[in-house]
Amino acid sequence: MQTTVVAAGFVDFEITWRADVFSGAPQSSSAANFGTLGINFRARKAANQEEWLVEIARLSCALPDAADESSATTSVKDTTTDR
Amino acid sequence: MAVPRHRVEMATTPAVNEMSMAEAFEGGPMSDHTPKELDLGALRQAIQAEYAEVAKRPERGFHFHTGRKLASLVGYRDEWLEGISEASIESFAGTGNPFSMGELHSGEHVVDVGSGAGIDSLIAAKMVGSAGWVIGVDMTPAMLEKARAAAAGRTNLEFRQGYGEALPVADSWADVVISNGVLNLMPDKGAALQEMARVLKPGGRLQIGDILVQTSVPESAKRQIDLWTG
Repeated sequence: MQTTVVAAGFVDFEITWRADVFSGAPQSSSAANFGTLGINFRARKAANQEEWLVEIARLSCALPDAADESSATTSVKDTTTDR
Repeated sequence: MAVPRHRVEMATTPAVNEMSMAEAFEGGPMSDHTPKELDLGALRQAIQAEYAEVAKRPERGFHFHTGRKLASLVGYRDEWLEGISEASIESFAGTGNPFSMGELHSGEHVVDVGSGAGIDSLIAAKMVGSAGWVIGVDMTPAMLEKARAAAAGRTNLEFRQGYGEALPVADSWADVVISNGVLNLMPDKGAALQEMARVLKPGGRLQIGDILVQTSVPESAKRQIDLWTG
């Protein structure tokens, strides 16, 4: 989730709350089968390209194989368009 | 910066703080890419049918909680609900509390993605006041009808029909994007989040209530449309 949020142009991703919000609902749900929780999360749109790239780099450093350059092949495509 | 449409390609397993977060995007409704063979049109139809029921017959009972009971469960303050139409509250079907991460400020522009019967848009409109503006976006006509009725007479919000993956909002318009229980219903989370980034000003805030699954969802299950709505 963090990866997808950051990839979309955000920084400072944080899950702030989680709870079972499905138990006791009027109809049975598949939610329990998948351990589904309600969550709150927040993030902030990067103020500029540099801030976003720093966040990408920080996330990349957290990769388990980041020390192994042959496997840590994170690449960033900036398809910035003028609108 | 010009609003980016960034894309990150990772050849390795994404690193996240908790395994459950990785799982959330590995499978099920909280997947970041559209499962193969998922019929997007059929999925949207099924979701619209389900939420039209929530709009028209909220007392029916669903596989999720609704209304005031749910609002209390996820921590909505009584004062937020003061003055909000009961018709809007009864069809509340969120999964979290976007306002718990910080109230909105006077004069701010807010986009509510998947605004439903309008409860969060109406709360946001109260918070931003007459100098602010709220745009609620929803794809379900029955929900839009209910939200517009609940907002009658208010002068700082509007509801527009549209999809989360193609928001009918100008670039860099919003100070804050909120959403509640909706992102999980969109197969392409990346596209939806990029749209949220597009409409936000640089530095703008994203405050989302959604769901997280803690166990892997089989690929076959991801193609089952009834699991997306139930």
